[in-house]
Amino acid sequence: MSYYHNEAFENPDYHFSETLEIDRRGSSQRNPFSHQSPYDSSLHGSYGDHRGREQNYPVAIPMASLGPGSDYQDLPSTSPYGNFTENLSFEPEPELTYSPHSTFHLLDYPYTHGTSSGSEDSFIRRRNRRPPDEIFMTSSSMSETDPVCSEEEDLIGSLASMSTKERIKAIQKMPETMRKKREIRNKVLKEITKKANHRPSCCTQCLQGAAVSFRRFGNTLSEHFHQLRVWHKTLKIIGAEFGTSVLSYFVFLTWLLNFNIFSFLINFSFITIPQFLAAEPNNLSFTGLELFTGAGYFQRTVLYYGFYTNATISKIENGPSYNMQLAYIFTVGIYFVICFLILLFSMAKFFSRNFINPQELSVNASKLLCTWDFNITNDKAVKLKQKNLCTQIKEGLTEVNKEVLNFSAMERTIRIGVHLIAWVASLGVAVAACAGVYFLSINNLELFMKGYRNDLESQAAMLVLPVVVSLLNTLIPFFFSWLGHLEKFQTPGQHIYVTITRNIMLKMSIVGILCYYWLNIVATSESQCWETLVGQDIYHIYRLVLVDFIFCLLGSFFGEFLRRIIGTTVCLNLGLPEFDIGRNVLDLIYAQTLTWIGILFSPLLPGIQMIAFFIVFFVKKVSLMRNCQPPRKVWRTSQMMTSFIFLLFCPSFLGVLSVIGVTVWRLKPSEGCGPFRGLPSMYASVAEWIQVLENYTVSKWVVWIYHNLITSELFFFILSSFVLIVTYLYWQIIQGRKTMTKLLRQQINNAGKDKMLLLKKLRVQQRASRSSSALGGRGQQRSSSSYHPSRQPAQEVPDYLERAFDRNQNTSYNEHPFSAGISSSSDYLPGRRTGRKMRRGCFAAAGFGDSLAPGRASPPRSQAPSTADLVFLTNYKETCA
Amino acid sequence: MGGSASLIPRDLLGEYQELTFLSKQEILLAYKRFSELLPKEERENACSARVPKSQILTLPELRANPFQHRICHVFSTSETRDDSMSFEDFLDMLSVFSDSATSDVKSHYAFRIFDFDDDGTLDRKDLEQLVNCLTGQGEESRLSRAEMEQLIQNILEESDIDKDGTINLSEFQHVVSRSPDFASSFKIVL
Repeated sequence: MSYYHNEAFENPDYHFSETLEIDRRGSSQRNPFSHQSPYDSSLHGSYGDHRGREQNYPVAIPMASLGPGSDYQDLPSTSPYGNFTENLSFEPEPELTYSPHSTFHLLDYPYTHGTSSGSEDSFIRRRNRRPPDEIFMTSSSMSETDPVCSEEEDLIGSLASMSTKERIKAIQKMPETMRKKREIRNKVLKEITKKANHRPSCCTQCLQGAAVSFRRFGNTLSEHFHQLRVWHKTLKIIGAEFGTSVLSYFVFLTWLLNFNIFSFLINFSFITIPQFLAAEPNNLSFTGLELFTGAGYFQRTVLYYGFYTNATISKIENGPSYNMQLAYIFTVGIYFVICFLILLFSMAKFFSRNFINPQELSVNASKLLCTWDFNITNDKAVKLKQKNLCTQIKEGLTEVNKEVLNFSAMERTIRIGVHLIAWVASLGVAVAACAGVYFLSINNLELFMKGYRNDLESQAAMLVLPVVVSLLNTLIPFFFSWLGHLEKFQTPGQHIYVTITRNIMLKMSIVGILCYYWLNIVATSESQCWETLVGQDIYHIYRLVLVDFIFCLLGSFFGEFLRRIIGTTVCLNLGLPEFDIGRNVLDLIYAQTLTWIGILFSPLLPGIQMIAFFIVFFVKKVSLMRNCQPPRKVWRTSQMMTSFIFLLFCPSFLGVLSVIGVTVWRLKPSEGCGPFRGLPSMYASVAEWIQVLENYTVSKWVVWIYHNLITSELFFFILSSFVLIVTYLYWQIIQGRKTMTKLLRQQINNAGKDKMLLLKKLRVQQRASRSSSALGGRGQQRSSSSYHPSRQPAQEVPDYLERAFDRNQNTSYNEHPFSAGISSSSDYLPGRRTGRKMRRGCFAAAGFGDSLAPGRASPPRSQAPSTADLVFLTNYKETCA
Repeated sequence: MGGSASLIPRDLLGEYQELTFLSKQEILLAYKRFSELLPKEERENACSARVPKSQILTLPELRANPFQHRICHVFSTSETRDDSMSFEDFLDMLSVFSDSATSDVKSHYAFRIFDFDDDGTLDRKDLEQLVNCLTGQGEESRLSRAEMEQLIQNILEESDIDKDGTINLSEFQHVVSRSPDFASSFKIVL
């Protein structure tokens, strides 16, 4: 950290590169009063005459036809930067001639610098990571050139030393025009080829060739994947009309859909296809009702666990064989491991992106700066969005102006009472629903056990339970949202989160009670094949999934369509309904949970869910387009997505894992069917396999791993304590960094205050000097304008100021126990001590400001400290994240 | 697709891929859309032609956008300052607004788009114009003078860290870094 600082503040190039402040422009050669815009690259005064030829270069000089060393000599050698052509790295390349000037006046336009702060920053950081001698080399090699050029050289040098992939990324990241990027790239390539010529090595060339072809292969592959995105257009239309928040629901839906396609493919290829080879003919009749009940005909198909064989499949005599038991357990096991990793990583990604700084999320007004949704391209939607934003701004302003509501004790108790009652009511409803489901299912099982007849009546009876469960799942959320309205929460955020918590509670407890029932009652019943029962029959996930899907469709029909009819005809003040993102996402999570539970009992369930999601996608889309209006509130989309992924992970996936775990380790598989028939538990098949493996010397390592790692408690004990220690360390680091962030923030604030103070002093001085030399007739109003970023003061003032700040900065950095602050963060009291330090720095600065004489000339190149701080803070935060 | 692919030389296409965040398909699609904006006789050499601003603004993706003029202005490299766009400017624009562009690049260009007077900082005037764009120009949706003042004051209080009365690029990026939604909403897809 301190190294960074030292280098940063002593290296003039660094200062130079961070030309963020407007003040800088006053000090550069440009005249800020001219009407050239700082962004505008087009007005480069004398180079205007080159423009004409640049215009149509791609046609005039097609790139492909220009080999290196073609007739570029003909092209304008009148470049105003003639001296650069003698420069070591500037040997004109074909492409360079298209734009004879542009790269070289980085200084001429502040945005180049601004930007470069983005990209260059990272270069600087990156360079810091490299060993110091290398840094020295790159910077010293261009010490001869003039500063503008050397910065460019620096950039190119650091680019050239990157790997190809990194370099492409870095160039892409530069916020420059295409022409400039191309130029930089060409120079970098030149630099690289120059370097490569020094030590031509066959091996590296081979490697490079391989890398290139590999990259090309990757590109074509990703292109083909790109073509597979069938919903691209649909998503675009939705985004255009409803904005990102509604879009995120559909993105989540497609994500789940892809997930299910993946699991379907895995299960199908590793479990089902081998089973097809060994299948016996199915002689049950197929009527059509089975599609809904999943019983009858389907019972004897690959859809269910019970149909799978426990044999070892080998088609060729003495050829390689396929052990169905192992295939089954390993496929499911590995599938869950993959799921776990995918979920974990995407969750971590979301968390790190969205909860960088949670305490600042309450800030509102500055959100406006980045609130516009560029996805919305529909004319009407834009108008609506603008109107909504306007009302929101107005509401926000009145809220800010309003006093904080002070409730009397009476009101407060009433509020708490209402919340309590609401919670009791919702818990009661959830418990009642669970109890109802439980007794209904017991009742249903008895009915089923008494007489298993494969007729219409009994099949219809099977549908009672799933219908009831889905009904409960659909209707109770409405009750919860009604409760939420009654409660009158202070913020909409609270409302949403409380409602979601209640819904999750309800759904998870219903699924939980069903699981308990499957594992404890169905599994011990005397049914001949309980896994199939769970998978298909009475308490069958198949039917739950199916009925849930139907209810989802009905829900979008009645919930949204009828609501629109009511809203537009009967009760006009209701208006069009909004798309309820929260409820819909919860439905998706619920459906996915069912699929995961069902995978063990019915391996092809992901395939069914895949089809269901596919239909849901289009039904929801149509319903959305027909019935709904864009949401009025601005949703914090990414934050919501984070919590949804988290919900998918935490109650849903982890719950499923424990259910599966109990099934695999504890329960006795049924005697009469399935791949694990006859074993004490599903897991026993693995143990048996290991015993077989012990006879072969080749696979000793598997046995060793099994005995010493997988079944050994000691290993897990060590592993978990190690993980705990690492977690604790990270926790401490985070605490240290939080303190650090706080300190830096305070410092920026103080620097800002210093600046204000100095400006005030300066103005007093100016006024004094002007009144003393009363005739200086020019620029009278200047100091009378209140402190405002109008450019006159900005141009004049910072010259002294910046110097003052440079010193002030140094003193405060010297005084400030920065590095100590991190290392001894635990018992370090940040607030008071730094406060004092800063105050001292502030006084020093003020004193310095006093001694400033306004007329003195000052060196133009320096960095206003606050910006440096800010940049540092941002960098710092990035590294933290 | 195949037809338009032949119009962009292969290595130029590769170069575009390397220099922008766009994939091959996106570049080809962009080319198609861009050449549709040109009059028939110029379509052969769409790579070198310039499309006037009025034509660019007929794109459905930009037509309703309140920042359409600013977007054209920022991405145009025309030296006559008529905000016309060449194909490369067009690609630059799409690259910045694409899905895979980094938040850094996006925020940089967002800053330039919001900087209405092109002076390198967002001052009160810029903010006022920005808010006007956000709320629309309609009579009923306009903010009153006092509301506007208050709002701008709030914005500056929260985001102007060094208290110089304007928001500069790094302050802007700081604000953006606190709003994770930005990257997904600052997006235009063809």
